[in-house]
Amino acid sequence: MLPRRVVLKGAAIGALVFTVDGVDMVLTPREAKARDLPLQTLSEDEAASIESLGDVLLPGAKDAGIANYIDHQLSGAPDDCLLVARSVSIPPPYVNFYRAGLKGLDGASQAAYQKRFVALEPPQKIEFVKAFSAKPADGWEGPPSPFFYFVLRNDATDVVYGTVEGFEKLGVPYMPHITPERKW
Amino acid sequence: MAQGDKVDAVIVGGGAAGILLAAKLGHGGKKVVVLEQGPAWQLSDLISSQIWSRRLKWGTPPVQLDGKNPIAHNFNTGSGFGGAALHHYANWPRLHPEDFRMKTQYGRGLDWPISYAELRPYYDRIQTEVGVSGDAKAEVWRPPGAPYPLPPLRTFRQAEVMTKGFAAIGQRTAPMPQAILSRPYKGRPACIYDGWCDAGCPIGALANPLVTYLPVAQKAGADFRAQSYVTRVLMSDKGDRALGVEYYDAQKQRQEQHADVVILASNAVQNPRLLLNSATDKHPDGIANSSGLVGRYFMVHFGGRVLGLFDEDLENHMGTTGNQLMCQESYAKDKHGGPFGSYTWQITQAFKPNDITGLVNARGNLFGDDLHAFIRQAAKGLAAIQALGEQLPDPDNRVTLGDKKDEYGLPLARVTHANDDNMLALWRYALDEGMRAMKGAGAKEAWTAPSPGLIHVMGGTVMGKSAKDSVCDSYGRTHDVHNLVLAGTGLNPTEGGVHPTFTMHALALRTSEHMLGNWRGYA
Repeated sequence: MLPRRVVLKGAAIGALVFTVDGVDMVLTPREAKARDLPLQTLSEDEAASIESLGDVLLPGAKDAGIANYIDHQLSGAPDDCLLVARSVSIPPPYVNFYRAGLKGLDGASQAAYQKRFVALEPPQKIEFVKAFSAKPADGWEGPPSPFFYFVLRNDATDVVYGTVEGFEKLGVPYMPHITPERKW
Repeated sequence: MAQGDKVDAVIVGGGAAGILLAAKLGHGGKKVVVLEQGPAWQLSDLISSQIWSRRLKWGTPPVQLDGKNPIAHNFNTGSGFGGAALHHYANWPRLHPEDFRMKTQYGRGLDWPISYAELRPYYDRIQTEVGVSGDAKAEVWRPPGAPYPLPPLRTFRQAEVMTKGFAAIGQRTAPMPQAILSRPYKGRPACIYDGWCDAGCPIGALANPLVTYLPVAQKAGADFRAQSYVTRVLMSDKGDRALGVEYYDAQKQRQEQHADVVILASNAVQNPRLLLNSATDKHPDGIANSSGLVGRYFMVHFGGRVLGLFDEDLENHMGTTGNQLMCQESYAKDKHGGPFGSYTWQITQAFKPNDITGLVNARGNLFGDDLHAFIRQAAKGLAAIQALGEQLPDPDNRVTLGDKKDEYGLPLARVTHANDDNMLALWRYALDEGMRAMKGAGAKEAWTAPSPGLIHVMGGTVMGKSAKDSVCDSYGRTHDVHNLVLAGTGLNPTEGGVHPTFTMHALALRTSEHMLGNWRGYA
């Protein structure tokens, strides 16, 4: 089990604890992405789809580590999960939701464009997202496409704007109650 | 005390109601054990982050959500010491007298077995014990009651703008009464308006149970056991008496805790589940269920959200997650030209960029560069108001046992819920009013959320005068089993157009004093 102090240090700066070569390290999802840390739960294909969709929903989500963030959260106990999926009452294990949604994404993309989502041209991706975010898409199986859009859009916002760095981009003071230096 | 020792009272659920009862009963000399399925949260766990705030929301066991309009369960409930009150927004208006006699006065819904006048002294005492900030005179709609012990909280530019908007449609506003300290009070510091209430308030300015009644309960000797998952109430062979509860401890070992009185305070979903899962041959339909009403009359509030964009800096990152102002000009249930019920305008919100109520979800249809542009603009210029409105009790909105099971083989709770036509009509009525207020405030753009938010969890074990029409009496004591008591928002036969936490506290205080004064009648 990770030392509580390490976990909380990570929490305070919007970072998570990743294990690198057997050593626990506090990294932001962006740093985990930059280091190309191995995934624990998602496949490479699944991560690529999440990054591709995440970058359409909120450009910058891929580099901000959306796939590493989701993978990290799916790899722990459901009661420790910090994804918005938990707040919106998706039943655990949450990975089932993501896998079913990604399957729906590619199924509907194949039906509409005869290609997987990641292989679509940028304008096609935008057109496709616009369509399936508004109403369930033809050929989509799994969670309703507007709901999957909602969850992934929130995941993207978590990594782009939900951190101290993200607040700074908006000029919004973060104002944590307890600063890391004082408490952990 | 050793785990197996019989105690005076075992309380299932370490949320606001359970902790308050533990504090009062413990202070009254009773040996109390509190079994909480979640973690033993401490103030230092309340990390200022919307991402980390999700740890405080419900996780497991999952709840099966069903019906035409499934409820937003996890967001509105909590797990661990403090329960949902650990992340609640601390808006604490009172119910109105007509909320208690709706069937008698209007021929709609249900009556409570008590009146506002009977509950009033408990509201007054709770607000003094906990510390509520507000302006009773400015709340011209407020029922009789003692003034608040603390002046109202500060307001920011967003509130000034929206005051103008409501004035433009001829409506008055007042500071929202909040269980958040505007000044230091009883050793707790004042609010610093950083908008992190939803993530939990580690300084204790907001009245979360970790700083109100938990220390009192612990000082009185109450034994709090985290990670203790209660699976059923143990009944006597005759089926007329609760003996205690069965639970699984942190090591997943089966335990029994025997007590003279069993109190279920595990929330409006899990209380019915426990009663139904405790069925015996004497009570094949679940205990305390001779009425057949366990699980029925489950309710939520609707949220009618109106948003607006302004060109000026509204200081909308400042304040409380809850609301700086309120308006109850439309509280009268029968003055809406058709739709029936009450609502309160919650005015303003301190925004964070992400999470359910964050900037990102103010415009759900935007993505890509448009979403970036909107968030940047909204970070300064977004204003929000929300009508918190009443849903009438409907027996078909209910908690039952689902077809899926937990790790111990017990059925999960299933919540079946639908929005009714009256609720939707009231929601639309409120949205129209809100749009006029937002435009009156000068918003360059104004829009509404596309569907009602479903907020809070109430009902399911409603109180009443007899087992013909209810599960328990006004103290929460079940009609069928005299030493089995229920606590929490599940008792409410109606919900009014106000937030439930203040009323829940008042009811729990009243119950605790009745129990201590009539212990033999309970034990």
